[in-house]
Formats: sequence, structure tokens, C-alpha cells
Amino acid sequence: MLPFFPPDLFEDDRDVLLEIVRGVATAPAQRFILGAHVARLEAALAQTLGGAHVVACSSATSALGLVLRALGIGRGDEVVVPAFGCAPLASTVVEVGATPVFADVDRSTLVVDPDAVERAIGPRTRALMPAHVFSTMAPMPRLRALAEQRGLRLVEDSAVAQGAVLDGRPAGLWGEAGVFSFVQVKTFGTAGEGGVVVTADDDIATAARMLRNHGQDGRRRFTHHRVGTNSRFDEILAAFQLHRLPGLQARLERRAEIAAYYGERFAGLRERGIEAPPPGRDGRCYYVYSLLARERDELARQLAQRGVSSHVYYPRPLPRQPAFARYAAGGSWPNAERASARALSIPIYPHLDDAQVELVADAVCAFEPTTTKEAVLER
Amino acid sequence: MSTAAHDAVGAAAGVPFFSQAASFDAQWPRLRGHLTELLEIGKLSHGPKVAELERALEAWTGARHVVAVNSGTDALVLLLRACGLRPGDEVVVPAFTFIASASSVVLAGGRPVFVDVDPQTYALDPAALAQRIGARTRMVMPVHLFCQMADMDRIRALARGHDLTVVEDSAEAIGMRWNGVHAGLLGAGGVLSFFPTKTLGALGDAGAVLTDDEQIARTVGALRHHGRFGATLNDFGAISNATEIAGVNSKMDDIQAAVLLTKLERLHDDIARRARLAAAYGEQLADVPGVLRLPTVVARAAATTPVFYVYLAEFERRDALAAHLAAAGIETEVYYPRPLHLQPCFADLGHREGDFPHAERACRHALALPLYPDLELDAVQVVCDEIRAFYDGAGSR
Repeated sequence: MLPFFPPDLFEDDRDVLLEIVRGVATAPAQRFILGAHVARLEAALAQTLGGAHVVACSSATSALGLVLRALGIGRGDEVVVPAFGCAPLASTVVEVGATPVFADVDRSTLVVDPDAVERAIGPRTRALMPAHVFSTMAPMPRLRALAEQRGLRLVEDSAVAQGAVLDGRPAGLWGEAGVFSFVQVKTFGTAGEGGVVVTADDDIATAARMLRNHGQDGRRRFTHHRVGTNSRFDEILAAFQLHRLPGLQARLERRAEIAAYYGERFAGLRERGIEAPPPGRDGRCYYVYSLLARERDELARQLAQRGVSSHVYYPRPLPRQPAFARYAAGGSWPNAERASARALSIPIYPHLDDAQVELVADAVCAFEPTTTKEAVLER
Repeated sequence: MSTAAHDAVGAAAGVPFFSQAASFDAQWPRLRGHLTELLEIGKLSHGPKVAELERALEAWTGARHVVAVNSGTDALVLLLRACGLRPGDEVVVPAFTFIASASSVVLAGGRPVFVDVDPQTYALDPAALAQRIGARTRMVMPVHLFCQMADMDRIRALARGHDLTVVEDSAEAIGMRWNGVHAGLLGAGGVLSFFPTKTLGALGDAGAVLTDDEQIARTVGALRHHGRFGATLNDFGAISNATEIAGVNSKMDDIQAAVLLTKLERLHDDIARRARLAAAYGEQLADVPGVLRLPTVVARAAATTPVFYVYLAEFERRDALAAHLAAAGIETEVYYPRPLHLQPCFADLGHREGDFPHAERACRHALALPLYPDLELDAVQVVCDEIRAFYDGAGSR
């Protein structure tokens, strides 16, 4: 069975990882957190982002929370977030004491619909927090214009989109601040948890640095200027990321190549109730390749029969999650509901070989719907 | 011996505040075994080694439940939330401790209320607690610092009398016991920090909650994984479980769990070694002028098990002494230079200097000396000689 979550992501880097663990453990500095490796990683990533600030954290979720705190968002504030996406979009807002307001998403790209965002803005709205989803960046130019027009802060949940570029501007730098996730399955995944805040704003960067380490200023230990958290990045993983960084571009390219092939193969599947994501490279980053299938569970079953594992990301829209239902009274998010009912993600990791990619594509193309073509087209 | 010659000896010896480099090689084969196994399975956070560590720590501490998280600070925040802290609830915490004891209360939505510490144990003074319990007081957080526990009999009696939940900041207290019960298990729950210098230290940030309460363990287990209940450990697919409560990401890295599993095997030996080094400091510093207070394990009605995590003593002209030792290549640490009630981040609570004299005195005089299993007895001698030299006049320029 071809796994959806590959356990062998770092097969070629095992010896390097072991050496890094041993090297950090025995180095004279005996520095294990926020040391020289972390500083080097932050600098190396800053270079890929035109010199923007990079603040390494314990995870992208905590990075998002640090950004909200750095912007001073808290009790009484509302933040407009997509109705379809990962829990941190709403939980980080709740964590800082603010209220998430859910906006519906686009029916086919699954990223937040700017018209719905505009409708969700009210007198207490302080910020917009769009997210890039699966392989597609949110419509950042419009959202940026909207935020400017309405005097709102713009936080970019770019956790999944490291390496994507829209209209010449990298993901993460469209908002006042963005984040990347290093959890192992991400495009720049590591051998554990991690993430970064990225921002061109000096003040946000300074605040995030302080907040990730108990409100200390990095010069005077045990003086706490603000109530902060512990969201620091470890030296071992920073050293491993520095080792992995030079190969990132090639891995992103391989993902895009697989996506392009899938796109060609799946073009004719509409009549069997399967929509593939749109083609193209602008504003795209193929972290996850997700189909929309009318008979989603049946597709998953048939793929499994043909030796291909798949995964359902976000089987419920955020406002339908028990944790967030209290912020969702009376709303409706039909496109998010549709996405949760239909989305099915198939393997796209860069170390899939061509034969495996073909196996996946063949399995999808062999799908036989249980209902008739006419019934499918009617919907 | 002239000052210059003395400095040269110290600098040549060089005593770092912490190192585990020398003993690491002996542990490497075991750790490499864990890591190789981990890479075979391939889930590198919240994975198989984290699960193994939780069970091993349950066996070691006697806790019914150990829940691994990303740091001791996260452990406190999630524990407070799981114990039902509500917005506006007050939690009594000591004024002399690491910031997390109070910032965790704020992060969990509550309000810290500071009280002074006992001057000998540096732990929350039960008499001060008794005076500060008010209508909004919901919890009390004793902190076990350096080498011994707070007076848990008196604190628990007060908590029972006022219906307060006891949450222990036992971040430093692995191995400490009260009548045989491990620190952290005398109230609703406690935490462990595995910050690298800790008695059980990782090679990065890591922490855990320990509790005998199944409901608290389940809630903390969900909060650390975005509010997802159920058996999420070592299961990639669990990321699509329903989000039942607004949680965080505080998953532990399996590399750190593997380090901790390796070091746990020698924890008893490490604790014995720390005690031996602490005893050596005690003997050599007993008659040094300028030493105001050496750590003293206080006798209790309960049978207690101290653990020397930190060797903290109080000295005259503490900062000058620290500078003198630094010049001699001896690293020390000030735990803590500023009490919590005088931290800029708590300025809005309106405290001023003089509010908590024992905490403030400790902040002026306390200095932690190097103490870790890899430290040689000779190095203790070097440190003590330098301290004596400082007070004999050689370092008092």
C-alpha cells in the first residue's frame, strides 16, 4: 500500500541527522535552544525572502498566536478567518481572547472568498486572517487592498505554502506577517515540530522574538517585559533544516511536476464526479494535492483497493467543529460544507518515483462511480 | 598565591555552568538505538518514542498519567486549563520563581496573586498564603525550587479548608517525594520540565504534565493536539479528528523523547551524584566568610526526598562575586535576579519594592553554582577556592 503519510521522508538523511544529534550534544557550547544554528537558519530563510525577518518558533500554530499577540489582538476583537481549514485558524484567535468570524470559501479553489470576507467585516473586526489551502494561495492582492481600505490588520496563514510565489511576491510576505510550518510532512518539514514567523515589519519581528521566549529581550535574562510564551526552536532541528534547505527547491519542483502530471491525467474525470485542482504555477505550492469527489468515500475505498492511501483533510468546516460552534450561530458556509464532504487528498511527496505517480493516477482514473453519469451531471 | 596566578588557574580549569558532553558518548549507543528505531517507524513528533517515554515516566514517578508536551511552560498552561481555570480566577503563586509560574496563569486566562516565600526553602510560605485567600481565589500553585518541596502538608490543609485546587509547579522537582508521593501528585496535578539543564534534561525544549486524574490527563492530551481527543499518539491520521475544544500545538519531538528515555536509565545515579557534589559544596563553603546562607533541606513531619537540581547559596556582594568567578572561567547563574512582583510585565498589578522581603532578599544574594553529574569533585574544589579567595580579599578590588 502506498502510504499517504510517508514514513521514509528522511531516508537519505538518517546518518546526517544522527551526526547532528551527536554533534550538538557534545559541542563545547552546550547550547540546545535558540543558538547559532537557529540564527543561521533564520538568516538563510531571510535570504530567500528578500531580507524579511524570520523568527523560528516551536510550531506554526504557536507562530500564528505570537503574530496575533504582537499585533495586540485580544479580548473584544474579531478576526475574519476561512470556514474551511485547519483548527489553528480559529484556535489561535480564541487563545488570545478574540472571536473568530467565519467567511465561506471559493467553491473550487477552497481558499477564502474575498466577497464573503468583506461581508463578514463588522464594527469589531480588527484583522483578516486568510489561509493558503492545499496547493493554492488565497487571493492576497484583493485581501490586501480590502485590509488597507478598511484599516484592518492582515495576517497570512501561509503555514502550508513555503516556496509559493504570487505575482512575484512570496507567500508569507503578502500579509503584515505570515508563518511557515516545519512539521515533518510539510514542504520544508523537519524531524519534529517547528515553524517560523516571517515579516517585513521590524516591530512585529521584535515583538515575536520577545514573545517566543517569555517576554525577554534577548540581552538581559530573567527580565520579562511582556507576558510571553515558550515557543523556541531547537538547535538540532535548526541544523537539520540547514542541511535540508539546499534541496528544497528541487523537492518543490518535483511536487509541481507530479501535480502537473495528475492535472493532465484527471482532466476528463468531471463526468465521474471528480474535480482536480486548477493547473498553473503562479500562487501555487503543491503541499497537498486534493481532489473534490462527489462520491468521496467511495473514491477513497476504490483507491485503497488499488493500493493507494488517501486522506480527508478537514472533514468538517471550522464552524462545525464542536470547539468553535459557539462562534458560528446562524451562519452558513455552503462551499466549505461542500469541500468538507468532497475533498480527498492523494500522495504527492517528492520522493514518489514515476511508477508510483502513475500508479496513483491510474487508480484515480479507474474510479467507477456507483451512480450513473446523468445523476452526477445533474448535481 | 597572587590574584593573577589564581585567575590563571581558574581560567585554565574552566568550569561551565552546565555540560553533559563528557558523559554523552557513553549514552550514545543507547540513544542511537532509539533514534534508529524511531526513523524506521517514521513519525517524528507525538510518535512512538513519546508514547514510550510517557509510560516510562509513569513507572518512574508513580503517576497514573504522564502527558508529554513541548515545554514545562506549556505543561503549566494546559494543566491550569484542564483544571478548569476560568477567566478572572485568581491563582496564588510565589513571588520568587521562574516567570512561567505566573505567566502560565495569565496565558490560561487567570490572574496571578503573589505571596512571599519561606526564606529557607524559597517556596511559597503557607502563612502568607493563608492571608491572601480571597473570594476569587480558585487555585494555589506551590513551586518546588532547587532542592526541596514546598510545605505540602500545610498548603494542602489550607487548600482543603478553602476549596482551592492545588496545581504544583514541579518543573524542577523530578525525583522529589513527599511521604513517598512524587512531586506533582499531591494535588490535582503537576508538571515536569526537561529543559536541558534539568535533572532529567533533553537536548531541546520538552515538558510533561503528571496527574492521577484521568479526566485532567484526557483534557491535557487533547489540548496539546489542537483539542483533539482520543489516541492521537503515533497516528498521522488523527490530525483530522474533530476539534472538540480550542487547543494548541504542544506536541513533543520524538528525538527529545529518545534522549529522555536514554537519560532516564541513569537518573537515579545522576541524582546520587548531584547529592554528593552538593555535600562537597556544603563542606567546603561552611566556614567561608561572605556566605550568608547555604541550602538546607528542612526537616518535615512528612518523610521527604530532596533532589539537588540547583545548588543555590546566598552571598554578600553577589554580583561582584559572580564577576570574579566569571573572570576565573567559572560560570554561575542568578536564580532569580528580579522577583515576579517587580517584573515589567506585571507592573499593572501595582506592587512595589518591599512588598515581599524574602523574595527580594533572595534576588539580591542568591547565586547558583555549577552542579551536574559530569562535574568533577576537583571542579567543586576550584569553585570553592575561588569563592574563598574572593572573600579573603584577593577578589574584592
